[in-house]
Parts: sequence; structure tokens; C-alpha cells
Amino acid sequence: MISDQAKKEIDIWVAKYPEGRQSSAVMQALTIVQKENGGSLTNELKQAVADYLEMPTISVEEVATFYENYNHKPVGKHVIRFCHNISCMLNGSDELISYLEEKLDVKTGEISKDRLVSVKRVECLGACVGAPMCQIGDQYYENLTKKRIDEILDGLK
Amino acid sequence: MMVDIEIEIDGKVVHGYPGESLISIADRQGIDIPRFCYHKKLSVAANCRMCLVDIEGNPTPQPACSTLSSAGMKVHTNNEKAKTAQKAVMEFLLINHPLDCPICDQGGECELQDVAMEYGSDISRFTEGKRIVDDKGIGALIQTDMTRCIHCTRCVRFGAEVAGIVEMGATGRGEDLKIEPFLSEGIQSELSGNMIDVCPVGALTSKPFRYEVRSWQMNSIQTIARHDLVGSNIFTQTHKNKVKRVVARDNESINETWISDRDRFSYQGLNSENRVLIPKIKVKGEWKDASWSDALDFATNGIKKNAKEGSQFGTLASKNATLEELFLLQKFTRGLGSDNLDYRLDTSNPFNAKVLESNISLTELETIDHALIVNSYLRLEQPMINHRIRKATLNGASVSTINAKAFNFNYRISQSVLTSPQNTVATLSGVLKALLDKSSQTLPGYLNSVTIDQTHIDIANALSNAKHPVVVLGEHVNGNKCSDQVAQLVANIAKASEAKTLNASLTGNAHSAERVNFKPDNGKNALQILSSDLTAFILFDIYPNFDCIESKNAIEHLSRDDAFVVVMNSFDDESVLSFANVILPIASFYETSGTHINVDNIAQSYSASVKSAGESKPGWKVIKVLADLLNLEGFDFTDSSQIADEALSLSPSFSEIEVPISNSEMPNVATVWQYTPYASDVVVRHASSLQQTRIGQMSEASVCKATAKLLKLSEGDLYNGIPVNINESVAEGCVFVHTHLPRQLGVI
Repeated sequence: MISDQAKKEIDIWVAKYPEGRQSSAVMQALTIVQKENGGSLTNELKQAVADYLEMPTISVEEVATFYENYNHKPVGKHVIRFCHNISCMLNGSDELISYLEEKLDVKTGEISKDRLVSVKRVECLGACVGAPMCQIGDQYYENLTKKRIDEILDGLK
Repeated sequence: MMVDIEIEIDGKVVHGYPGESLISIADRQGIDIPRFCYHKKLSVAANCRMCLVDIEGNPTPQPACSTLSSAGMKVHTNNEKAKTAQKAVMEFLLINHPLDCPICDQGGECELQDVAMEYGSDISRFTEGKRIVDDKGIGALIQTDMTRCIHCTRCVRFGAEVAGIVEMGATGRGEDLKIEPFLSEGIQSELSGNMIDVCPVGALTSKPFRYEVRSWQMNSIQTIARHDLVGSNIFTQTHKNKVKRVVARDNESINETWISDRDRFSYQGLNSENRVLIPKIKVKGEWKDASWSDALDFATNGIKKNAKEGSQFGTLASKNATLEELFLLQKFTRGLGSDNLDYRLDTSNPFNAKVLESNISLTELETIDHALIVNSYLRLEQPMINHRIRKATLNGASVSTINAKAFNFNYRISQSVLTSPQNTVATLSGVLKALLDKSSQTLPGYLNSVTIDQTHIDIANALSNAKHPVVVLGEHVNGNKCSDQVAQLVANIAKASEAKTLNASLTGNAHSAERVNFKPDNGKNALQILSSDLTAFILFDIYPNFDCIESKNAIEHLSRDDAFVVVMNSFDDESVLSFANVILPIASFYETSGTHINVDNIAQSYSASVKSAGESKPGWKVIKVLADLLNLEGFDFTDSSQIADEALSLSPSFSEIEVPISNSEMPNVATVWQYTPYASDVVVRHASSLQQTRIGQMSEASVCKATAKLLKLSEGDLYNGIPVNINESVAEGCVFVHTHLPRQLGVI
């Protein structure tokens, strides 16, 4: 279920914790297997992570459902993670998210028809100074406007 | 007891231990502090905030469950500050709680309802929509209604800390937080029903009890669970002469506050349609209903006619019978001049010497630092004993096993030796030799030719390095042809390592049977009774298809034309109809008064919770009347407590014989036959909800590749009617059957 390459990467994280505390690496392990699986997790993958780290599956599920950075349904090639917490909301994130949904013909939590993009509302990403903002891949995009969103979307391939 | 802290609660000076929580001190003093997440047997979570109290010098109220006492503390549990805080918490808790108390099974015994009466407001200020939680269902025993859940996490902590299987968890967060298992396959723990008891609201309730009756309409009767060696303390809750529910009763030295699912849900069997309700007699091969007096006359005449000599008569009784029933039956049998009696029906070698006693108490089990478990899947056989050992492992004890299969225990096994029944004597001899070698003691002759390997040395080291070790012998030994030697070797190992012993192979009420000597001194044992030319029998609550180790032979033998069989049963059974001549219906569990003797040798008496079903009568009364009709002396009892007094005054002397260890001839492949815990006696076999659980459904014959090849078995074939599962967790030369199905072919 988990590739040898992914196991190697997980082992690096496991080695950072004291012996017998391998379950501390659960967040990194989930991130690694999620990336390998095209950006989302399945029950089988969570089970495999639990078995690999010798921890109860429900404990993996608790972590995986607590944090926003794990996806439980298939996602597009690019995931636009749009902040909708206070600073962004006050600066118009709701309107921008609606604009995004309209433009892409996709609702938050769904994948666009060409399977290129999916949109997700997330909690604060710690960039309130540049609100409203979103994250695509490892990149933050701040001080968003409709025009800026158009440019960003044009750049997604 | 160390009591050296003085604090003040509500102006009252009280004492506590250093480091004790405020709520625990208040509970001991009878000072009421409302709480939901705190449970005396679970870790402190402090997440419900209901137990907020005011502590002088603290600017904000503090939770009494997680605040530790320190000398001179002044605590107020009901001043304005505390009350305001508690009322505010209550308002938050009720925001999402539905107002469905009238249709909630928890209604009337609900902690939230009780506390809301005192701390809740009459009017809700919450006008937004309430949260509704999608329910997945978690199996046949526990009814979920998670919209009612207040996220106290008692069930989650129970799974992690007590049951040892983390099944429930808190997924999602904030408004979306849900308490649920990972997949909706059903909870698998053998202790899962306790989650119902710990749930403070109606989120987890008993599924078999759902919508049966309101809790305040029932009577609660203190009684004892009879399925295992522990005799857990329970309440049977009855309504209109039916047991509607069983809940745990606190007894710190026996079952603490927990009971196994078997004890909790087996009562369903009593209400099964398969009960014997009227006496029946067989005339010219036809079964007829009869009056009690006709049936008793028929039975006594048959015994008189067919057993002219006492030696032609034999009695077999269930190991789950009460002390009183066993005592009267042996008195009856011996009064007729017979010494043919036994309760060890599932034993292939009913030997007489008492070689292995239990000499460790349940509470002492928590203090061991090493346990060697031999021939036992202890977790399912004796859940409460296993729970005590698990508690010891949480304090650092290690556990090793010598078993035919690697079982799924709820604690880590440090050394696991796979041994087939025919090799068990050799393995135990190896361990004993390693132990004696270590202390350079002289070896008895039978150990000279024994070879030891590293696994023997590892186990011997673990035992000899431990300060308080225990050796546990379990049920699988009963099917072993060399069970006497195995028991002797376990006793010898315990002696050599100064370990305590626990004999869990005698389950149910077997300790009562031993107390009244319900086995032959010189007469015939169970196997001999069922294979020699006796002509009259009494079978007490026995269903040979399940209970007899050689069931096919037993049924054929009892079906002979010259055999007269009196059966006292509480349940109907096809095979019994084929051989019995008269069936006398007797009361089942909770329908008769009686006494159970547990592994600590504690005799616990109980009275009947409900009247016996139909025309059935308590077993002891039936035996007494039979004895009177046959003019036997010494049966002048009017009350079961008189019988218990006489039975308990017995102290039978056991022959302490040293069993010789020899190289007995054994088959190439042996079978270990274990019933699921929900097929261990007739009552639980009829409990429909337990049968639907994953444990109850278990039915497989496990065998390793090499043995499968030898027996020409492949995956999915039937072995004695049980589907074959090929895996390497089983010892070579052994088929391990774990099932709820009867022993069809009567092999082994």
C-alpha cells in the first residue's frame, strides 16, 4: 500500500522521535502518502499508515480529520486553499470565493470538470497581513482581488 | 491508609491524600459535584468543565477533577461563583443536546438529565439550528444516537485504558467533532458493553434493551453472573417477571465496576423460544406432555427398574449448575449407591488428582510482574481475569505464552511459544529443565532426556527474574490426552520459580463441583459413564452436541434401548429428544436461587430474580422431590440456603498425587476445539445479539501450511464442519478450531 520510497521518507521522520514513539510521525506520514496518492487519502491508506506506525487506525483518523491539510476525497491537480477566517473574511474572502466558484464552475470541496483545480475553504494560514489570501501548492498568494485571481488561474496548467 | 492533608470544602474540614483530586475527596465525603467526563476508573480528561468549583485565591473557577488538593485549600462547590460557572457550562452543553428525553432509553437514569434539573435553565437562549450527527451504527450490542453525545470521551478512554482496544475516537473538530469508530464494522471488544454504563447520556445505550421498558418501571435485583470463574456482581433488572437488562454492580475485589459482554447480554437467552416449559415423557417412542407428578413417577420408576444396583446408575451435570444443585445431585447419586458422577464433560482425560490449585486472588493479579499463560486464550475465556493481568502489564509486567496459536491479546506478549497439544508436555519439560538448571538443582529422572532450546530458556529467565510471577493454565488443556501431566508440569514450574498459579481450565461454577466432590472417587468418570454399560442416567442441563467432548459417541451410547435417561434441562435440544426418556424442565440462570464459588474461593449466594419459565422448577427442588420419591435420606431441605450451608461445611480432602511424566503416545495431528465465549454454555448460546457480534460469529479451523498439506486440506474446505483457514499463526501438527457450531462429528 505504501511504496518503499514513501516508507524511506517516513522513516526519516520516525527517527526524529524517541524509540517507541513512532506514532508521533503520523502527520508527516499522512502528508507523504497523500502526496504519493495524488493529493488525497483513502481508508486503506490510513489503515496502512496505522499499521506501519503501529497505532490504532482510529487515532490516525482523528489526526487526519482534525487538520485541513488532509483530503478525504480525490482533488484536482491544483488545490486552491482559500482562507475564510476573520482577517480574510473582513477583507472580502467570501466574495472572492464566490467569484472563484463561478469562474471555475465548481463548488468548494469539488473538482473542476477538467480535473485541474479544486477549491477548499481553510482556516487561518497565518498570513493575515496580506488578507485576503490563498495557498496553491507550496505558494501563498496575498492581497487578492478578482483581477489577481484571473491572473493566477491563467497561470495554472 | 495515608491521610495527611486537610482541606476545607464548603466550610467542612475534610482529609485527603497528597495529590488526590478535589472531586475524589468530595465524593468520599458525599459532597455532590456535578460531572460528566470524570469517571473514577478512567484517566482525567477535564473536557466537560461541569465540575468547576471556586477555590479561594484563584481568580477563575477550576475543574475539581483535574485540580489536585494541597494543604489548607478552601474550596466552595456551591457559592455564587461556582454556581454561575456550572450553570454557564450546563447551558453550553445543552446547546446541541436534543430534547428527546421521552423517547430516549437513558431517560430516568441520565446524568445529563439529573444535572440539568438542578443546573439547567428552563428556557434556552439558543435560537440557531441544532447539530445533527449522522449515525453509522457500531454493532449488535450498542445502540448509538450520537446527536445526544456531549463529547465527554469516557467511551474513548474506556477503550484505550480498560478494554485495551482503541476503537472509538473523536474525529473532526469544532462543530463537526464526532465520537465514532474508524469503520462501522462493529465494536470488537469483549468488554464493550461497559461503554453503555460509562456513557453519561443516551448516546450509547443497550441495543437489545432498546424501547423495551422505561428504566424506572424495573426492579433491580442484586445477583451474580454465572458464566465464568469470576462471578461478577450484577443487577438483573426485571419487569413483569422477565429479565430486561443486566448492568454491573460495584465490587472492587471481584469485578471492580466492569462486566464482560457475556455477563451483560446473555440474559436474552432466557427469553428464547427454545425453552422447555412442560415436563415430557417418551411412551413407545412418542413424546407426550405430562404433569409434574406423572413425569416424576415415570422418572423414579424408570430409575428403580433400570438401576437395580447403584453401580448401574450414572449422573452428569453441567459445570454451570449451582452449588446447591451439584451438592444435592451428588448426594442423590451416592444415596443410590453409585459413584458414577462427573461434571467434566469437555475433558478428554478426566483425571482425579488435584494437581493445580489457584492460589492468587484477583486483586493480587494486578501486582504481578510476569505472567506465563499456558493453553489459554484468556482474553475471551475469562475477560475479567485477563483485565487484571492487563492492568499489571500497564504497570510494567511482561507476559509470555505457550499456546497452540498466537492469539490476539490486548497487551503485548514478550515471548510466544507455539506448541501443539502433543508437544506441550515436551515444551513445559524444557522450561522446567531450564529453570532447574539455572538454580543448579538436581533434575528428576524424566527431565534427563529432555532437550532445551532458547525459547525455553527465555521463558525460564523471565519467570526466575520476576519477583511476583504467576502461571495461568487455561481451557485448551481440557482436550489434551495428557492434561494431568500438563497440570503437573505447570505446578512444578510454579514451584521451581516460586510463582503463584491460576487454574482457569475449571470454568463456570466448577469450583462448586470440586467443593462437593462432584466426581468419582472409585466409580466411573464422564467418559466412562458415556461408554460403559450403565442402564440409568440423570443428565443435568447437558446438551451433548456442544458439551460432550465425544458428542457422537455420547449420543449413540445414551440412545441404546436398554438405557433410561432422565434429563433435567432448561432448553430444548434435538439430540436430547433422541435419547431421553423423560425431560423435567428446570429453572435457568436468574430463575433460581443458588451459590457460585469463584476462583478466589469466595462463595456468593443469590436469590432468584424472576420466576422460572413456564412450569419449570428450580433444579434443587426437582432433585429433592426425586430423592423423596426414592426414599433417600437427608433431603429435608425447605430452602436453598440450608443446602448451601451444608455444602459449604464440606472440606473434601484431595489426593495430592504426583502425576508421573512419561512419553505418552500421541497422534501426529491433534485438534484444539475452543468455543467462542458466546457458545460456552446453553444460556449464552441462545442470546441472539451476542451471536451477531464478530466474536460470536467466529468459526474457523486454523491450520498451518505444513499441517494442511499433511491433512490434504485447502483454504475454505470443511474440517469437521468448520471452514479451514490456512495461516502460520498455528503450531505445526495442530488444528485450532474456534467456533460457535456444535461438535458435529464428535471427533476429539
